Amino acid sequence: MLLALLPALLIMAAAFLLPMAGLAVESFRLFVPGRVGAAADAPFTLANYGDLLNRPFVGLFGETLRISILATLAGMLIAYPLAWHIVRRWSRRVRTLAIGLMVMLLLLSMLVRTYAIELTFGSVSIFRPTLKLLGISPNSGWYIECLVGAGLLHYIVPVATLTLLGTVQNVDPRLVEAAQSLGAPAWRAHLTVTLPLSRAGLVGAFLIGLTFSISAFVIPMVLGKGRVLFLSNSIFNRFSELADYPSGAAISIVMLVVSLLLVVAVSRLAAPRRRPA
Amino acid sequence: MSARLGDEISRVVVWAVMLLALLFLLVPLLVTTLMAFDARSYLGALPPPALSFRWFVNCFRQDALVTGLRISLALGVLAAAISSVAGAGAAIALDGAKFPGRGLLLALFVSPLVVPAVVTGFALLLALSQAGILNGFVRLLFGHVIITLPYTVRATLASLAGRDKRLVEAALVLGATEAQAFRSITLPLIRTGIVTGAIFAFAVSLDDVAVSTFLTDPTTYTLPVALVSAMRASFDLTIAAAAVLLMLVTALLIFVLDRAVGFDRLIGQGMFRT
Amino acid sequence: MAIRVELQGVTKRFGSMTAVDGVSFSIADGETVALLGPSGCGKTTILRLIAGFETPDGGTLRIAGEDMTRKRPYERNVGLLFQHYALFPHMTVAENVAYGLRYRGYPRADIPARVNEMLALVKLPTLGGRHPGQLSGGQQQRVALARALATRPGVVLLDEPLSALDAKLRQELRAEVKEVLAAVGSTAIVVTHDQEEAMSLGERVFIMSHGRIVQQGTPDDIYARPASRFVAEFMGRSNWFAGTLIAPTRFRTADDMVLEIAPHATDGAGHTLCLRPESIDVLPDGGDAGQNRLPARVLEVVLLGAARQITVELDGGQRLLALQANREHAPPARGARVVVGFAPSACILIPDDVV
Repeated sequence: MLLALLPALLIMAAAFLLPMAGLAVESFRLFVPGRVGAAADAPFTLANYGDLLNRPFVGLFGETLRISILATLAGMLIAYPLAWHIVRRWSRRVRTLAIGLMVMLLLLSMLVRTYAIELTFGSVSIFRPTLKLLGISPNSGWYIECLVGAGLLHYIVPVATLTLLGTVQNVDPRLVEAAQSLGAPAWRAHLTVTLPLSRAGLVGAFLIGLTFSISAFVIPMVLGKGRVLFLSNSIFNRFSELADYPSGAAISIVMLVVSLLLVVAVSRLAAPRRRPA
Repeated sequence: MSARLGDEISRVVVWAVMLLALLFLLVPLLVTTLMAFDARSYLGALPPPALSFRWFVNCFRQDALVTGLRISLALGVLAAAISSVAGAGAAIALDGAKFPGRGLLLALFVSPLVVPAVVTGFALLLALSQAGILNGFVRLLFGHVIITLPYTVRATLASLAGRDKRLVEAALVLGATEAQAFRSITLPLIRTGIVTGAIFAFAVSLDDVAVSTFLTDPTTYTLPVALVSAMRASFDLTIAAAAVLLMLVTALLIFVLDRAVGFDRLIGQGMFRT
Repeated sequence: MAIRVELQGVTKRFGSMTAVDGVSFSIADGETVALLGPSGCGKTTILRLIAGFETPDGGTLRIAGEDMTRKRPYERNVGLLFQHYALFPHMTVAENVAYGLRYRGYPRADIPARVNEMLALVKLPTLGGRHPGQLSGGQQQRVALARALATRPGVVLLDEPLSALDAKLRQELRAEVKEVLAAVGSTAIVVTHDQEEAMSLGERVFIMSHGRIVQQGTPDDIYARPASRFVAEFMGRSNWFAGTLIAPTRFRTADDMVLEIAPHATDGAGHTLCLRPESIDVLPDGGDAGQNRLPARVLEVVLLGAARQITVELDGGQRLLALQANREHAPPARGARVVVGFAPSACILIPDDVV
């Protein structure tokens, strides 16, 4: 039976583990500008990592983090009520429709969705007249940031909604009814009962959204138009424009570590969840 | 009285947020679909005064897009096939016995989902170059197989977990050997899981940009990569037409998925959890 | 009578836990035996050992004289009715029943006839084309039985056959299962935690606890002459008197009452007296004199339809539970003074050193 494991193991080793190890090694090599990548016998150095501690990169990291956190938070604000309505409010037919919509959005190509946003809300878009009316320039920094955030939301909302369906289901609706019978208006009942009880699920969904956002490549590339750069884009630039592989590798390793930490955080939070009796 | 008001207000606010969100999710797609049929040769305001198929025709005239499509489809089918076989095998092996390190192996197989795609692509490029593998298609295949493997493993595991373990025992005691029991009982029952995994793998492969960007060469590139270059070059509506075609492909995939598996089971199988 | 199943010193350990501890027994051809005990007593492990899903760590297992200790399940001819049926959901009822026939090399052409024969036997002749998901619990159970018996196995194992059904259905199917087993004539082992199930299906009952068989015999035997407190409490309700045997026919209780018992050897060991509720008569105060008449006060009367349960308190403070048929004469009132009486032969003595 363990023989069946072999193909997958080989694939993982050859296409994943070895390359990652190679990446780590490359990140420690010295880069001489003008070459493509580091020389095969280049000395080892921490310079690539040291470089990352200077302002431009820290600013980049900060920008990635900031936009990601804001987008994910916005996504949660939308997804949670949506999930709650799907589970507790809507009829079976509407529920199937809503879930079907979320699944469809997830399966739909990310590129298509990103392009659609650019076409609808971007600078060369049909929205332009409306924007001019509102006095907003579609090329301004903050608008582009919003656009990138919107792109992220297109993934975060469906994923978070589907993830939170389980969380909402685990909160006994009778507790909210109890709160209301004790005098709390609906909004306060939800705030003080449903929300705290969903905390583990909410944090989990948040981290899923955050992990995705931080690693986003296509979305900032298409919608950011060079004004907004995420970590992934800078790796690509190091690779394609500067041929500075070691530096790209160093950023990659940093991204890897951050993503892994986030995932560990998610699994830690998911683990002590109570199983339904 | 004010409690009531608070309730009403919060209800309206929540409804407004949800409505806006749903509109926000759907409007760009609707706009794109509409614009793809626009007869004008420039990007004008909605609604388009006349409809035409010119952009769709243009799609198939652009060599880059056609080549990209051809390679993407081949890649998708091949990657999905390889992933499904390897992934199903791994899932079956992992589900079978509880050996130490099982959890670790499972985490390993799912890890490409966690690693940023750019990192995967970059790492693969370095490794494949060093190994002397220069064929564009082969490199892309490596990349696509590795990013689709987690889906096939997870999907197969989910359907394995959902089945009754006693069924194999029943088969054994009725006279079937382990191999016969596997073929007649386990395999048919996990077939839906494997198919689901394969479909997801195909969809993921078709959509990938980050990994593919690193692994393409001037003659071998995928459709998404071609589309991205097209987007940077000129923002004309050919891309909108291509986008609509891709949406149709997605709709087709969903239809196949529903036929093969059924939607409610899909959600229940936890495909959308990490 | 030929021996169909024989276990000799069979032991099975899981880690540090011994699930089956040196168990030996033999079952005759055509006999139906019940393995009865609380969960964790090892009865399910024995079932799995006989079926071949586990291999014993020690001892031997013989079926029809052949040593089957290390054989795989498909090398034995054992039928198994799973607790939750384990019907193959992706196959029709007919395909389920035919499965064993296919894999045991039954001639292809004869399979449909045999399937129909089995379905007729369990009274489901028309359901061959359905899928298990479309059947009720009782129907599924019958299909599972048909499937297990189709290949004419030497031994049929039934794992808690009636526990998944509701009470009413259980009664019906109990009779049917007995009929089917009798019609087929195979040797059967029923594994259950339910005393009623064991007593109604088994010709002999083996009571298990902590991996050992603590008593075996006919249901009547075990009920009337339990060898230990555990068995007495497991098989039906009991009332207990602590005390000493002061003469072959006399028992003095801790409350200093002297009871008349059937002659019992005085071996010096301490004893406890067990009394079944149905052997206690609740008589009006001042009734006839006789053996073992104890004055008491009625604490509670519970009417259970066909029977009534009366809890009384003796003058010394001890409580007794009596069970009588709910017939013509009215039950005593709460608080009424009564006299409880029981025959000497109804007293069961259990030595204190037996657990």
